[in-house]
Amino acid sequence: MKQHTRAAVSVVACILIAGSLLAQPHPFDTSSGQRLSSSSIQIQPVDPGDVPLPAEFSVAVYENLITQIGKTGKFQHVYRSGDKDAATAPDLVTLRMTAQSFNKGSQKKREVTTVAGWSSLTLKIHIADHTGQTLVDRDVQGKVRFFGGNLNVTYDFSKKVAAVVRDTF
Amino acid sequence: MSIQNATANASAATNPFRAGSPHIWVRGLFLLAIGTAFMLSSAPARSQAPDTPSSAPSIVQADVKLVIGGDTIKNNSKVTLSVVGGSLHVATNKTTVEVTVPSILDIFTNEDSRQDITGAAHLATMAIPYGGSRVLSLFSHNVDVLTLEFTDANGGYHGAIFVLGQGQAAPIKKQLVAMGAKASVPLEVAAQTSK
Repeated sequence: MKQHTRAAVSVVACILIAGSLLAQPHPFDTSSGQRLSSSSIQIQPVDPGDVPLPAEFSVAVYENLITQIGKTGKFQHVYRSGDKDAATAPDLVTLRMTAQSFNKGSQKKREVTTVAGWSSLTLKIHIADHTGQTLVDRDVQGKVRFFGGNLNVTYDFSKKVAAVVRDTF
Repeated sequence: MSIQNATANASAATNPFRAGSPHIWVRGLFLLAIGTAFMLSSAPARSQAPDTPSSAPSIVQADVKLVIGGDTIKNNSKVTLSVVGGSLHVATNKTTVEVTVPSILDIFTNEDSRQDITGAAHLATMAIPYGGSRVLSLFSHNVDVLTLEFTDANGGYHGAIFVLGQGQAAPIKKQLVAMGAKASVPLEVAAQTSK
């Protein structure tokens, strides 16, 4: 009788342990609603695709994003594309951007009419872990509606991407 | 005339087999010392001469606005761009950032317009009644935008954007390309597309 009880207890214990191990969230699992964790991120330059994105906007997006992602404080290292040190990062995630649409707008029109000349920039951001598993895949739009130069659209975009990263990690 | 005499005296003084007075020996030593000094001083001057053009900046553009990407230089700073030796120098009063030509991945030039009234003055114009600030917004001037893509010593990708006076970006791009910098869009094509 005692042996049966011990066997039953051990089986139940095994089931509970196995269940708890299976219930452990994957470090990059977003379905559970928990935040992901990673110590380093590498940011790739903007892929313009078929969108006629001027070089200065592409560069401004990249440099603003490096600054804004760094400001989130979510990563110990923010690596630039091509940085040799990124190869040794164990849990590196990679952020890629592909242009979806771009409207340069006009600062003069914005400030004279207030209803025309808006600048807008939409990029698809794709964040993947070191195994290639997608963590984030969504469109983010930057806008300048009233004041500021056209390049400010890249600052607005970077702030929004930083907010996505802050919510995800 | 005096030069001829000095030369004669020198030849007499430097001849060890000719007996002479102590004054002649002293003059000879004096002339020898001066001659040596001339020889030593002229040698480095000649050797430096070929280096001078390469170390002197071939193109200098002052009062350039660094929009972003200056690394240690703050965004929207006024800088001086100069092509020195084999690199592009971005200098402020305090610091200088050097971008070597082999590290340049691409160079773009573009045209844009910038408003003449910016910053705090622009904010102040918003107080003008009857939409006066909108009228002031009409005043703008054309500028050149120079965009650089380059790598750092660790291979990391960087970009920098400069705003220059109209027509000032092309000479810098031309100079850098002539020195071996890469440019996906040739200068002539860039000029045509921007028009």
